[in-house]
Amino acid sequence: MTRSAEAAFLLGASALASFGVAMANLAGGGGVDAQVALTFLVFLIAFGSLHLALRQWAPRASFYLLPLVAIITAVGLTMIYRLDPDRAGLQRWWLLIAAALAVGLLFAVRSTGLEPLRRYRYLLLLGSLVLLLLPLLPTDWSIPLRGKTVNGSRLWVEFIAGPIGIQFQPGEIAKLLLVVFLASYLAERHTVLASGTRTIGRLRLVEPRQLVPVLVAWTASFGVLVYQRDLGASLLLFAVFLTLLYMATGRAAYPIIGTGMFFVGAFFAWQAFSHVERRVIAWLRPFSDFDGAGYQIAQGLFAMGSGSLAGSGVGLGRPELIPFAQTDFLFAAIGEELGLAGAVVVLCAFALLTAVGFGIALRSRDLFRKLLAAGLTFVLGLQTFLIIGGVVRVLPLTGITLPFMSYGGSSLVSNMVLIAVLARLSHEEPT
Amino acid sequence: MNGPIRKVAIAVFIAFAVLLLDITYIQAIAGPGYRDDPRNPRVQIGIAGKERGLILDATGVQLARSEALEDDPNLFVRVYPEGGLFAHSVGFTSSLFGDWGVESSYATELRSKRDLTISDLIDALLGRDLQAQNLELTLVAELQRVAAEALGDQAGAVVALDPSTGAVLAFVSSPTFDPNSIISKSAAAAWEALANDPAAPLRDRVSRESYAPGSTFKVITAAAAIEAGVAGPDTTFANPPELELPGSTAVIRNFAGTLCGDGNEVTLREAFRRSCNTVFGQLAMDLGASVLEQQAEAFGFNRQIPFEWETLTAAFPTADTLSSNLPALAQSGLGQRDVQATPLLMAMVAATIGNGGLQMEPYMVARIYDAAGNVVDEHQPSVWATPISPATADVVAAMMEQVVASGTATRAAVAGVRVAGKTGTAETEIGPPHAWFIGFAPVDNPTIALAVVVEEGGDAGENATGGSVAAPVAKRLFEFWLLNR
Repeated sequence: MTRSAEAAFLLGASALASFGVAMANLAGGGGVDAQVALTFLVFLIAFGSLHLALRQWAPRASFYLLPLVAIITAVGLTMIYRLDPDRAGLQRWWLLIAAALAVGLLFAVRSTGLEPLRRYRYLLLLGSLVLLLLPLLPTDWSIPLRGKTVNGSRLWVEFIAGPIGIQFQPGEIAKLLLVVFLASYLAERHTVLASGTRTIGRLRLVEPRQLVPVLVAWTASFGVLVYQRDLGASLLLFAVFLTLLYMATGRAAYPIIGTGMFFVGAFFAWQAFSHVERRVIAWLRPFSDFDGAGYQIAQGLFAMGSGSLAGSGVGLGRPELIPFAQTDFLFAAIGEELGLAGAVVVLCAFALLTAVGFGIALRSRDLFRKLLAAGLTFVLGLQTFLIIGGVVRVLPLTGITLPFMSYGGSSLVSNMVLIAVLARLSHEEPT
Repeated sequence: MNGPIRKVAIAVFIAFAVLLLDITYIQAIAGPGYRDDPRNPRVQIGIAGKERGLILDATGVQLARSEALEDDPNLFVRVYPEGGLFAHSVGFTSSLFGDWGVESSYATELRSKRDLTISDLIDALLGRDLQAQNLELTLVAELQRVAAEALGDQAGAVVALDPSTGAVLAFVSSPTFDPNSIISKSAAAAWEALANDPAAPLRDRVSRESYAPGSTFKVITAAAAIEAGVAGPDTTFANPPELELPGSTAVIRNFAGTLCGDGNEVTLREAFRRSCNTVFGQLAMDLGASVLEQQAEAFGFNRQIPFEWETLTAAFPTADTLSSNLPALAQSGLGQRDVQATPLLMAMVAATIGNGGLQMEPYMVARIYDAAGNVVDEHQPSVWATPISPATADVVAAMMEQVVASGTATRAAVAGVRVAGKTGTAETEIGPPHAWFIGFAPVDNPTIALAVVVEEGGDAGENATGGSVAAPVAKRLFEFWLLNR
């Protein structure tokens, strides 16, 4: 594959997005309108500029990242447009903003590489913590930057500039910064964390001080759960921390102990928080509380079952019957209208994207870059798994967005930046 | 450090594989269960649609209406309050199985035109009404109920007309089905059960099923003879115990192998009253193939009847085939062999006799109203055909009155009312005979003409005759219509 082939794929994905919008228009009984051309144009600008940025500043970057992201985004935007054309219009703006930020990052590190990320890790950690705590700002003070609770989770910040109120989830960006910090920190300290094992017979024990980072992670993620009532982010945070620890040290003890602590935490959460308990019941027996907690999951299953193998076709199903179809349950909407066939394509695109990411990690030249690439890829894959798994009842439902697909600007921006970092990392692979 | 990264990658891929397996299970294996789950709102939305107009009977009884869904006031489900009583006439409208009956024929009028097709857009610009229109049928729900009850669970058909207008008063096909079940949440299963039911409840036995008319066809044979001047009611015929058919070993016998009356000779009137096969077999041969065929076709055989929907065309063999085959001609004169008629056509034959030879075009929709209650369209009764002269009609009517007064159809007699009729016991190749009755009343100024068919003898089975099985059904309708209404 070459850079030109990448361009051809991006052109195809842009056509796919506009084709999806056209189908939704026709199915809705209307004619093909300017939205089709506009969508094509936005995709062309967003991914075209990313493509040119790679050509210019990271010419050896992987060819596979952008086409996969473009296809996933195209299917996602088609579904959002089909559910709510106005929101799709906003999402297009977010796509432009996300691409601009990603291009900006590629430009900023064009000569320095990703070295500064390693160097300023504590600054990034601080930034991450500030971002995480930002939603706890008062909701009613006079400064035009306020915390906001949406659907029971305190994850939002509202920035008010005159008549426009922009909402975003700073946690999405914080998550990236945290991965960068951890990759940098663990790359330096991994030997300390991996050494000093006591053995009793054949049994290898972990030094008590080695448990400290696990405890820190556990506390932090539990804090997120308590103060922000966000099950998904809490789980993501904890899993990313443990996985990076494992990848840095090779010590299976970390994930094993961590999983144990997770269950302890989960038990307390079950006891302490009614919303956690409700979610678990909805997960295990959605039809027993059909009119209550199980309603959303049941509607998702109805949608996917109604979609069957080939789906109803874009615009011809009733995914609007699923609560939160544009965000948490977008995958169920895909299952209904594009069928098992479309759902498998989307899942495979995500699987390929993570495969590309792990490939970059394996080929990277130093531990920091390996951990960074693997950590970012893991974040991407885990988000996908958590939210789709929640929809299809592999896991309890957590309020996490489906990368590049769910409606929401912060998620799109952070994931696009994540892809830019991965692209830069692949450019920096030893030849 | 690549080892742990590989392991994490593998773990992530396993997680994706689990998702793939799970969506395959949900969509491919468990999918139909979720799709058809009654709690799946798609099921109800699938059977719901736009608002359609009311369908009322002649007395204002609701036969079909649209009800808005609770969770979506723009979506409506069709409700048939009378259940199976009007399943074959009003029909149903189903997104899965199409539209039937009046629901199908008047889909354009019943449809709400608020869906912005180009023609509706023009209507809207011209300020025309876009609301669904309502239909008033000629059917009378009470008569329909009497007919259905009289037929009971016997398979067959009852159709009643107003002889002077052609208005269909009753239209019963048995067994029937509940159209509400076909548009219910379990529509697919209900449809499959109905389609596979050996009793064929979906079949319209009034207008889309034909039977050998048997001796009821003698009305046409007699009319042909009188109209052609070949015979009158007092013309005498030989009265043999059996009629030998030329060029074949076959014979025609009277019912139960009896003589037709006492003497060696018998009048046409007497032969008609007793329904003598020997006399009518001979008469058919005397008339000749072309005269009989022409008369049958004048009454509507081999022709498409103008109706609310396409009906099955009744069949009478061509003159060419019959003129070279006298046994077939003789048997055709008795309404056997290849003669096939719908109950609707035989009711029209009876109505024509009662209406002085004028055959009215049958219809079921009397008026179309707009949403404000103004009449948009009204059916004007029209003569479809004049198969016989008024004089012939009077003579045949008198002969038919004798049949009910003292002939084979005494069980159709109603005290104090002059009823005319003719029975038929049509032999079938497979089992017991079909029992027929056609007739009208009162004779001097009929307000109802009808045809009754009870398939394969109904409850009476092998012993059934038109007089014993079909005539009592007709009597219930005459009684209700003329005395108790």
